[in-house]
Amino acid sequence: MSQLATFIAEKRQQKPILSMTHVVYGYPSVEESLSWMERLMQEGVDFIEVQFPFSDPVADGPSIVAACHKALEQDLNVETCLSQLGKLAKNFPDSRIVLMSYLNPMYRFGLDKLAKRAAEENILGLILPDLPIEQAATYQAACKTSGIDPVWLVTPVTPPDRLAMLASQASGFLYCVARSGVTGHSVHEGKAKQTSLDEYLAQIKQHASAPMGVGFGLRERAQIEQLIGKADIAILGSALLDAYNKGGQEAGIKLIRDLF
Amino acid sequence: MQSENGFYGQYGGSYIPEILYSSQQQILHAFEEAKNDPEFLAELNQQWQQFSGRPTPLTFCANLTEHFGGAQIYLKREDLNHSGAHKMNNVIGQGLLVKRMGKKRVIAETGAGQHGIATALVAARLGLECTIYMGAKDIERQYPNVFWMKQLGATVVPVTTGAQTLRDALDEALRDWSSSHEESHYLIGTSCGCAPFPEMVAYFQSVIGNEVREQSVAQFGQFPDRLYACVGGGSNACGLFLPFLDDKEVEMVGVEAGGKGLELGEHSIRLSHNLGQPGIAQGFATMFLQDDAGQLQETHSIAAGLDYVGVSPIIAHLAETGRINMTYAMDDDVIAACTLLLKKEGIIPALESSHALAGAFKDAPNLPKDSKIVINLSGRGDKDIFNVAKAVQDETFPQFLTDYLAAYPTNHADNEEQNA
Repeated sequence: MSQLATFIAEKRQQKPILSMTHVVYGYPSVEESLSWMERLMQEGVDFIEVQFPFSDPVADGPSIVAACHKALEQDLNVETCLSQLGKLAKNFPDSRIVLMSYLNPMYRFGLDKLAKRAAEENILGLILPDLPIEQAATYQAACKTSGIDPVWLVTPVTPPDRLAMLASQASGFLYCVARSGVTGHSVHEGKAKQTSLDEYLAQIKQHASAPMGVGFGLRERAQIEQLIGKADIAILGSALLDAYNKGGQEAGIKLIRDLF
Repeated sequence: MQSENGFYGQYGGSYIPEILYSSQQQILHAFEEAKNDPEFLAELNQQWQQFSGRPTPLTFCANLTEHFGGAQIYLKREDLNHSGAHKMNNVIGQGLLVKRMGKKRVIAETGAGQHGIATALVAARLGLECTIYMGAKDIERQYPNVFWMKQLGATVVPVTTGAQTLRDALDEALRDWSSSHEESHYLIGTSCGCAPFPEMVAYFQSVIGNEVREQSVAQFGQFPDRLYACVGGGSNACGLFLPFLDDKEVEMVGVEAGGKGLELGEHSIRLSHNLGQPGIAQGFATMFLQDDAGQLQETHSIAAGLDYVGVSPIIAHLAETGRINMTYAMDDDVIAACTLLLKKEGIIPALESSHALAGAFKDAPNLPKDSKIVINLSGRGDKDIFNVAKAVQDETFPQFLTDYLAAYPTNHADNEEQNA
């Protein structure tokens, strides 16, 4: 089992479902985003998914897009980000940070270097939503060499054979997108037909030996409860950002306490 | 041009969120089948002819030829397509493909609005629901096109994120597609995006070059010595160039937008002078204008259709291998070329196409008198009336606008009358 999967398995001994909370690095400023991450880890979240901003985040909805664009009003640097995250994570051995970004800034930084540096900073998982597994051979190899996991996404419309392939390739955890569309609330919601979440997760479980994380559209306690026994991690993204935008860290923490 | 699994050298590919995988595969297969189906091709040719007016002429420009005293200058008249631009070739093709796939709705991004109008025209004709994403700033700059899209029954959605231009509109169209992929087709307007879009759009546009092959032989007994096309996304260049790819003696020149200068943000030159860098974004790998950290950057051109931050992976590859020579034209040269064509030949070119003219006019005097060059006049310039009026500092235009506004019946005035 990979380091990330082992960490998840051990934590799951104590909790029915783990929390992964999303933070945009550099939003509204680098300092404030680091302070927010620190607060979240003090609160005892199991994971932070840190998004390194990209100018064109096509898988994200309006809340995260706006945060990324705001963050990019400063010059952000991948190397600095990794060092800062590593330093922060050292003080919280019961939590882990995974890094999410889009391919281009990471490609410019160098995917080999990214895997190596992430591992050095104890960032055990990387999420790149616009890098399909078919184009990822060297990235997978780099992650393997460094002992960290590329996190693959599956969706309700992933064909069964592809779902089986992705699930079998997953090592750290498998990111199960709960519905069609982009992250968070957006005008694009509700056009696609809904499959039953329970059925969908059961299907994935047939093929996945790695832990399962579920994200996209989680906002209420009932949704988290529904995941217990069917998934390992509930991923809270735009809802947390919306709460933070409305009432700062306090409102964000309140949401987490309500949900988990 | 056939790709290798969607790649052209190091460019192209399919880098899309997992949610779009099935829809992308569906298009891939539908296009493969369609282009090998004689019935589809017959329908395509019929629509090209009966709806868009193809074939478009190859026009000899005697006055310009004499003016420069060098190469003999011909124009491929894509401006004479229905909608006034080559965009029609592609939207007719993809529109028919949408019908074939049984989808009911199309989404498109547009910058200047030409592709938006072309999409709205075809959607109206084929009975498809149509949503156009357009940057809020572009809507301000190109309102006449927005007006027609709405009149044609399309929903025009202003995009207010980022720089509020074409790049943001493309992002937003992808987001819509991520949630609506089951009933909607993303009708990309240029030979960019994930596979198979670059290949498919280039395929539909290749009717341009295929016609030139026949027309050049019929009109002057040989293939052209040189071809010129402007390069924004790259679809009109692909259309003219690709059918001549194997004819090594035919030289090809792509002209990008030099804008106001070579500083980042002032131009849209991606393929020469080391201004663009390889990147992977918006679904594909190509040369992008970006900073060292891989963030995509702002662009500029007097021609809204050329200010895209990336470029067709096909053109990027052919430029890298040296098959196409890349050059650029500055805003000022473009206005001069536009004006010269108006005066000498009685043709009103789009500012996009005027880049190709400017590039060709620079070379023409130095080329042998018996050489033949073909410039792709990808669109007509009626849409540029406001920009050209400003650029040539027409004295009467502001007065016209003032008078027009004064006489415009607003609701506000009507209400006042009713209330009185």
